[in-house]
Amino acid sequence: MSEASRARIWLIQALSVAVILCVWELAARRHWVDPLFVPAPSAVARAFGSIGGSAVRALGDTLVKTAIAYGLAVVLGVTGGVVIGSVKPLRDVLNPFIIAVYGMPKILVLPWIVLVLGFGTAPAVVYGAIHGLFPILVLVMGAVRDVDRTLVTVARSYGARPWQLYAKVILPAVVPTVVASMRLGLVFCLLGVLIVEMFAGVRGMGFVMGALANGFQAPELFAATALVSAASIAIVLALDSLSEKLSRWR
Amino acid sequence: MTAAASEPLIVIEGVTKRYTTGATPVVALRDVSLTVAPGEFCTIIGPSGCGKSTLLGMVGGLVAVDAGRVIVEGAPVTRPDPRRVATVFQDPGLFPWRTTLENVEFGLEVRGASRDVRRRTALELLGPLGLRGFEDRYPRELSGGMRQRVAIGRALAIDTKILLMDEPFGALDEQTRMLMGEWLLEIWRRTKKTVIFVTHSLHEALALSSRVVVMTARPGRIKTVLDLPLPYPRAMESPELVDLRAKLWSEIREESLRAMQGL
Amino acid sequence: MKVALARLAIVAALLAAWEVVARAANPWLYVPPSKVVPALRELLMLGSYPDLPSHVWLTIREIALAYGLAVSAGLAVGFALGLHRTLGRAYGPILAALYAVPAVVWYPSLMLFFGLDAASKIAFGFLLGFFPITLAVLAGIRQVSPHLVTVARAFGARPLRVFRSVMVPAMLFTLVGGLRTGLALSVIGVIVGEVLGSKAGMGSLINHAYGLSRTPDYVALVLVTLALIVGSDVGASLLERRARRWTE
Repeated sequence: MSEASRARIWLIQALSVAVILCVWELAARRHWVDPLFVPAPSAVARAFGSIGGSAVRALGDTLVKTAIAYGLAVVLGVTGGVVIGSVKPLRDVLNPFIIAVYGMPKILVLPWIVLVLGFGTAPAVVYGAIHGLFPILVLVMGAVRDVDRTLVTVARSYGARPWQLYAKVILPAVVPTVVASMRLGLVFCLLGVLIVEMFAGVRGMGFVMGALANGFQAPELFAATALVSAASIAIVLALDSLSEKLSRWR
Repeated sequence: MTAAASEPLIVIEGVTKRYTTGATPVVALRDVSLTVAPGEFCTIIGPSGCGKSTLLGMVGGLVAVDAGRVIVEGAPVTRPDPRRVATVFQDPGLFPWRTTLENVEFGLEVRGASRDVRRRTALELLGPLGLRGFEDRYPRELSGGMRQRVAIGRALAIDTKILLMDEPFGALDEQTRMLMGEWLLEIWRRTKKTVIFVTHSLHEALALSSRVVVMTARPGRIKTVLDLPLPYPRAMESPELVDLRAKLWSEIREESLRAMQGL
Repeated sequence: MKVALARLAIVAALLAAWEVVARAANPWLYVPPSKVVPALRELLMLGSYPDLPSHVWLTIREIALAYGLAVSAGLAVGFALGLHRTLGRAYGPILAALYAVPAVVWYPSLMLFFGLDAASKIAFGFLLGFFPITLAVLAGIRQVSPHLVTVARAFGARPLRVFRSVMVPAMLFTLVGGLRTGLALSVIGVIVGEVLGSKAGMGSLINHAYGLSRTPDYVALVLVTLALIVGSDVGASLLERRARRWTE
């Protein structure tokens, strides 16, 4: 893409955002919309100041839970995916079960998890882990199944033993998919944790946003939403650049 | 240049292979027997589906025999033996995440050779392979011919007595094929390996081999064996070779027609 | 055959284990299958929740509306961004960035704006279903081989015909995949919305049973909701097959 067109695109993006913000501000000031439900951008900006400290703390709380859930999801998902994906009989038998559970809205089991584990951190971590586990599991399974058969045959013809097949062929071949699934898994884990915080939380961003919504504190809620969104986008961008570095050979 | 030693290196005895996928079983090879002496360049040629790749796979320990046996250096073949046999496939099968150098080192790595030995061996091979300067490139950055050279380099690195090649130049254009054939002859004469080479190409069979084995259409058996005690490089326009070519073609043509009608 | 038997064995083993463990540990909390069956019967005979049908119907309507909106907006935005290079390059990345945000962060704002009624669920379901459809349209357009377009134009085809006869068939597979993902996500959006806070609908019933610790009823409601979801997915794949036959 040339410099000129890149600049033009940036201009369009910036202008669009600016126009939207101006119209929005105007609409709120002129009461075209009820400022109780749609706060002015200026009010949202001010709200950053007022909730700033506690919002960041709540975000930190959420991210810690997400990190733990994510660790669990990645470990279980990747090992499970590699094991199930590479052992054909296991894969054939378990595949429909995994797909079925993957497609099921997991929120249906959330009330039960809360009944068992109570409120707070434990259900958030468990549910977040479950949420992130399945996309990773399914993607890694698929990648292992799709490893180029020729490469396995070549390795065998060079006398590679089973552990060498895993270490030198299967695992390197699935690295790009593992990284992509890890990126997806993170968003899902965060999603799961936020849902639990909204449903049965005592702390964390989800809880804070729910409380702000109940209290009709629109500017603060929008500010909090923007904060979480920004954090999420930043994390995903970081993971994207990491995955790019690891996939140079593609 | 004839096979000097009297003791055959590879013995294929009455080998049969059946494939039972699907409703009717298919007999790929029926009662095939062949011996290959050390230092030979033996080409196996035949119509599609005649089982030549299967036969090669059996020598390489990748395909099991249903009847008969395959003996390499006196020992029956049950699994791949990278100490004796290296295989090059039509699909180079390079690991896309490894550089050229790392791909060539692969066999040595599996064997457990030290890093220095691996590096040194691979680097030494790059010259003859014509890949100097491409050590750190990834397969996607290489042309088809170069990739196949890397695959051959990988096979040469483990320095086996026997080199099996299954239509290694099949995916390349004609000019590249001819150049690669010349290059392969150089390597063969220098390393004095025993080569079993599977091809469709009459030109390759006549330009490269010391012996040509013609197989029948499925179920594959050995139809004819032609010895080619001719000097290298082959003068393809000489009357001898023109005759041989006609003879070879008439043998193959019959089987190709049969294969086309059968399939 | 062996595979089917193995699966059956696993299901049977799980059910048996569930029954035994639940009874031993805490039958009220870990509702064993033997307690689920009567609760399910109670539910389906409209004993435990007499107005079940109206809730089911509401949830179905919410899903239909949410998905309908998602498809319309998704196709419109997708094609607008996909066919117009500059627009696509400008707004595509913004869309991708928004997709990186866990959708549930929008829900409190939706609840603030729309309240606890169906509207917030429909809006949330719409948001969730919109993205995969739009992204599928963009991906589908991108993968149409430019060579095919060239060939069509060499035969004198005009833009509309090129679109109809080349682009749409070439991207159909990706598009349909996106539409099915969109449906699954719209369904999830509506149900999540209902569970997190609503006055009516399947999710609200589930919430109600949970709140009163009526665990057998809760399990029964979950099963009915699952049946609903599976039904919608089966319905979608049937429609897809019909549509495919129609376009061939």
